[in-house]
Amino acid sequence: MTTDQWIASTCGLCYGTCSIRAHVVDDVLVKIEGNPESAIGRGRLCGKGVAGIMTLYDPNRVNVPLRRTNPVKGKGVDPGWREISWDEALDEVTARLTKVHDDDPRKLFIQRTTTNTAIRAPMMMFAAAFGTPNSWAAGGGLHCGNGAHLIGGLYHASWSLVPDFKHCRLAIYFGASKGHGAGHVSCTNMQDAADARARGMRLVVVDPMANFASAKANEWVPIRPGTDAALALAMVDVILNDLGVWDAEYLAQKTNAPYLIGPDGCYVRDAETGKPLVWDAARGHAVRYDTPDGAALALEGAYDVAGVRARPAFVLLREHVRQFSPEWAERISTVPAATIRRLAREFATEAMVGSTIVLDGKRLPYRPVAAIYFRGSQGHKNSVYNCFAIELLNQVVGAADVVGGALGFNPVCYGHPETGKPWYEPKSGPDGLMITGTWVAPHLPYPISDPKHPSTMSLGGLFPLGMFGPTMASSDQEELWTKFGLPYRPEVMLNYGANSLLSVGNSDTVAETLARIPFIVSFDITLTEFSEFADLVLPDASYLEALDSRPNVPFIFNHPAGLGAWSWPVRQPVVPPAGQRRSAAEVLIALVDRLGIREEFNAVANTHLKLDGPHRLEFGTPYRHEEICDRELKSHFGAERGLAWFKEHGVISWPKRVEEVYWRAFLDVRVPVYWEFLIGLNRKAKPIANAAGLDWDDAWYDPLPRWMPCPSHEVQDGAFDLWGFYYRDTLHTNSFTNENPWLDEASRLDPFSYTIALNAATGRRKGLRDGQPVTLESPHGRRVRGRVHLTETVHPECVGIGGCAGHWAKTLPIARGKGVMFNDLLEVDWAHGSPVNLNLDTCVKLRIAP
Amino acid sequence: MARSATSDRLLADLGATFRPQRQWVEGRGIWLIVGHFLSGVGAGTWLFSLWLGYRPGLGLALAAVALSGLAHLAFLGRGARFWKMYRARTSWIARGFVGMTLFLPGAALYVLRPGGALGGLGLALATAGAVVLIVYKGNVYAASKGVPFWNSPVLPILYATYAIRGGLALLLVALPLGGRGLDAHGVGFLELWVAVSAAVMLGFYLGVMRSTNLAAQRSVAELVRGRAAPAFYLGTVGVGLVVPILVGAAGFAGPLSQVVLAAVGATSLAGDFFAKYAIAKAGVYIPLMPAGRGPAAPAA
Amino acid sequence: MRYGMAIDLKRCIGCYGCQLSCKAEHGTPPGVFFARVVKREFGTFPNTQLVYLPTLCFHCTNAPCVDVCPTGASHYREGGVVDITKDDCVGCRACMQACPYGARYFNETQTGYFPGQGLTPYEQKKYAAQNVGIVLKCNFCIDRVQAGLEPACVANCAARARTFGDLDDPHSEVSQLVRLRGGEQLQPELGTRPNVYYLPPA
Ligand code: SF4
Ligand code: SF4
Ligand code: SF4
Repeated sequence: MTTDQWIASTCGLCYGTCSIRAHVVDDVLVKIEGNPESAIGRGRLCGKGVAGIMTLYDPNRVNVPLRRTNPVKGKGVDPGWREISWDEALDEVTARLTKVHDDDPRKLFIQRTTTNTAIRAPMMMFAAAFGTPNSWAAGGGLHCGNGAHLIGGLYHASWSLVPDFKHCRLAIYFGASKGHGAGHVSCTNMQDAADARARGMRLVVVDPMANFASAKANEWVPIRPGTDAALALAMVDVILNDLGVWDAEYLAQKTNAPYLIGPDGCYVRDAETGKPLVWDAARGHAVRYDTPDGAALALEGAYDVAGVRARPAFVLLREHVRQFSPEWAERISTVPAATIRRLAREFATEAMVGSTIVLDGKRLPYRPVAAIYFRGSQGHKNSVYNCFAIELLNQVVGAADVVGGALGFNPVCYGHPETGKPWYEPKSGPDGLMITGTWVAPHLPYPISDPKHPSTMSLGGLFPLGMFGPTMASSDQEELWTKFGLPYRPEVMLNYGANSLLSVGNSDTVAETLARIPFIVSFDITLTEFSEFADLVLPDASYLEALDSRPNVPFIFNHPAGLGAWSWPVRQPVVPPAGQRRSAAEVLIALVDRLGIREEFNAVANTHLKLDGPHRLEFGTPYRHEEICDRELKSHFGAERGLAWFKEHGVISWPKRVEEVYWRAFLDVRVPVYWEFLIGLNRKAKPIANAAGLDWDDAWYDPLPRWMPCPSHEVQDGAFDLWGFYYRDTLHTNSFTNENPWLDEASRLDPFSYTIALNAATGRRKGLRDGQPVTLESPHGRRVRGRVHLTETVHPECVGIGGCAGHWAKTLPIARGKGVMFNDLLEVDWAHGSPVNLNLDTCVKLRIAP
Repeated sequence: MARSATSDRLLADLGATFRPQRQWVEGRGIWLIVGHFLSGVGAGTWLFSLWLGYRPGLGLALAAVALSGLAHLAFLGRGARFWKMYRARTSWIARGFVGMTLFLPGAALYVLRPGGALGGLGLALATAGAVVLIVYKGNVYAASKGVPFWNSPVLPILYATYAIRGGLALLLVALPLGGRGLDAHGVGFLELWVAVSAAVMLGFYLGVMRSTNLAAQRSVAELVRGRAAPAFYLGTVGVGLVVPILVGAAGFAGPLSQVVLAAVGATSLAGDFFAKYAIAKAGVYIPLMPAGRGPAAPAA
Repeated sequence: MRYGMAIDLKRCIGCYGCQLSCKAEHGTPPGVFFARVVKREFGTFPNTQLVYLPTLCFHCTNAPCVDVCPTGASHYREGGVVDITKDDCVGCRACMQACPYGARYFNETQTGYFPGQGLTPYEQKKYAAQNVGIVLKCNFCIDRVQAGLEPACVANCAARARTFGDLDDPHSEVSQLVRLRGGEQLQPELGTRPNVYYLPPA
């Protein structure tokens, strides 16, 4: 008898987590399609999503727990795997973890991938219950998250932003591919961006390379890597000072632009409440920013308040950007001054400041322009100022979360009509600035916590703006930990799917840090380069064999923005796990009981998963992963819609409301165009850093952004005449998908995917032929090899490399030897990290090695 | 190191602007060239042997065409289905198959039983088949709209010329095997004449191709300075044209020995083979380009 | 009824979703792509244009591949779809040389995507011995179409760049797109009369 069924589930080949339907015939997966009933992907998938069959059935997958027999760890060293039983494996993990837990739980180092996000909630809950603050998403965090998501959170209460594809008329992307490639909401964005293109939205893409978004743009603006802030600041200068365009109403009501700033750069505060003051032009005196009916808040002028000469923050901003002329920016960015002026004028004009539109019977501001930043502008030491400067473009014309403007991904959700859940909205925090309604990580973008002597591996406490720090795997981690007297060292690492050898920086540095960790347990579906450092490998169920009640949560991370529908999908096994594979979430819960931290875990789960009423976990009761999933779903969607309902229906959807999408007009929150908080932060952090003997540069803590050079801009040796950068390929997610032979094959067909893209004229000048193998070398002597692809699509000073390939593990026969491992060129140390948010610089000066 | 499933070369070919044709020349594809070569030579030999009344040549012709059939079978992906190739309304391959189907039994009949009605029928069938075999193969290439280098009315004429010359050449080779009643020098001069015309045809063909579209130009480039150049210069031009023409011309000065003439025949045969080989090898497909856009770089 | 497709080069973002969903649908062996994405670059820096050109068999009305086929394996079927009767293909590859659009692939052997490691369960299910030694190509997903579905490459295209329908019906979406957007065939001068049209990138 043949069986034939379609099972609704969720893709797990990138954090995009599109909704899928799996066709299973006689227990064999024969097709993956998108699920048209879900807003996430709307029934259409990228190439990776449909190729997942080959990941599921990879004969190189791990099927049994493996124990290392060779005590020597090193790149290319065979660990001498021995098959062991799950009991044996869990006994050992339990013994190691118990020792650490009794001793100092912070010695547990948790690392996870950004490819498959299913583990985020279970891992975070496990870490919290265990008591370790040392957890990171290897690579992903350092490369893509620290700046862009921070600024997204501060201004849009969301992880990322897109143009309002349905209404925007001019979008300027600064190193972003939203809607044209991989990443957050990729498949839905592809549809919306194509519709916008057909509708006539003008797209300008600032990027050193003309692929993905820039290939589809109306205008490509080639730029030198890491100089986005210079360009954006010059544009702000032109808009504010030459054109005199700004949205006074928005700035006065929705930002801290009217806040009065004293000579010390700080807010002038109300003596009684400590609240910042603003100048009320109607009343003719200063009032607290939150004074009701404070209608005529001054953005200009200078006032004597509380014994000091005070000026609105907006005045300081306008004055500050005067120094950033288009000519200055041209020298730094290579973008011609005339282009900068034109773009600024187009942006300011197209913003139609003052215009409104009626949607669903509500009159709303209409600002059809958006400045979008992501991986390109963010992947640098100066990511904070890059993203801050670009965001100011949206802010000065009031194009943030209004019709046509830059939209955060779903900062507001008023829940399913029947249950009112999930429910969240941003609220006003200290000094009237916005606190996000929900967030991806425990660490909120605002309020900024007080810097303190760091007690975590990442030194995060001292850098409250950062999420992840390079010291998790840096060459100078030991030195820095010693400086700050870190009272412990990582003793056990629990890794989920991350291949940090490839994803962080040069593999030698990462290898050294891993080799120092006495015991590493890793959940994996195949053995990778990372496994060469693991002591125990646990065979994980792949995303097609596992259960997850929240594959697309939180909505600010990865749910389609703009009007449309809400969808909460489920992930469920489409085939049972083969061999002895077990889902890591289940294994973690088994460990919780073995470690005796069930009470802590259940308490964390109640809060983290927002479990409610009868669905809350009792502290003393053991629950299986499935039960917890069931309770989470019931908490949100009612007792009748538990796991069984979701397994059958796959997804629940309901319409979005105008108040949710264009929430800015409806909520009374402000965002900072002047980062006064940096002054206080600097004042407190600097002495701690200095005491530990760390160099400190105040320039990174100015309340207004400037362009700060990347280390690559400071290389003096002229022999290094190229800037290297990597970009995300639509065909791959991190290094994970390189082993999928369908994707590998497509990559080999693609002119760029596995090659080193070099400007054709530059290449010819160097006497290079298309396809010629070359060695790239960094000023630090790091080298990678690959084939050049001579192309007109790259800035003449640059080489662009796709993704994160270049595997060498014999256990990955498809991936092995393919593509280029760009990250091997990157230094991972304090000098290449940001002294304000710890972001790692991912551009590097290079030469073609002789 | 484990090789990935698809050969890198295939993917590189697909990615190239001008994707090289390999099906009909590389791997088992070489059998097709062999097959085409043998059928042309065989058919040519048949006609000349008849004309010159040289019976051993008829046997040789039969053998060549029979071997050609085997070579074709070795080439086909599904040789066991060869008998299905009779859709001759539009297909030149089917016509060639019909030609072979006429020739082989006909020639066998005539060689074994020259006299009588049966012999006469065999002769008629075989001769008709031989004509088809001479004509069809150039047309097989010429019908290939995907390969502009072949897709030309000149090619059938060129290949027919080569087939005729091949027939003569095989006879020259066969002469030392005891060919009484045949004027070796006459054949030699004929061979010289056909060699010259083949050279002229080839030059004309390449000239036409150089001025056609970019893919054809690219093929010419492949022939004169690319992938097919060694086979072209050494085989087609050197061994196949220059040597026979020089030697043949020397024949005007004085009589050539049978062995020399046989050598001329052999080099001509090799030249015939390499002409087909090089022209096949130089084939590239029309590049897939957006409408109205030509490839950026035509040169090799 | 004449099935056809319009491919909008303005909408396509070169994501390979069509190429890979086609592969999954048909279980095509390594190196065989019924649908494929070609990337072509034009201009010189900084006035560069990278065009993504998704392709497939164009189901030509005047198909040279059908003309040259010696067995009739390549044939026209309902709706003008050009298909191959697998049991009749001798593997002579004349059709590959005749097709001006690179739509045909010869499948030499039965190898899977993990060489030396056997066939995956998916491959065991999808690969057929009858596919060995013959030429394979796109059949416009005729089985899906007859079941009321769109071809796999069309159904999955996230940018909705591919539109499938009846070109004989002037009111079909595909006919209207071709008419309104100035759909163009590739190499029309060859007289093949493809039923796949490209809508201009700009
Ligand atoms: S975008 Fe990501 S989640 Fe969506 S189908 Fe592709 S790999 Fe899967
Ligand atoms: S799936 Fe659509 S957007 Fe992606 S490459 Fe194919 S045609 Fe283009
Ligand atoms: S595109 Fe090629 S294979 Fe398809 S019908 Fe036309 S000629 Fe035949």
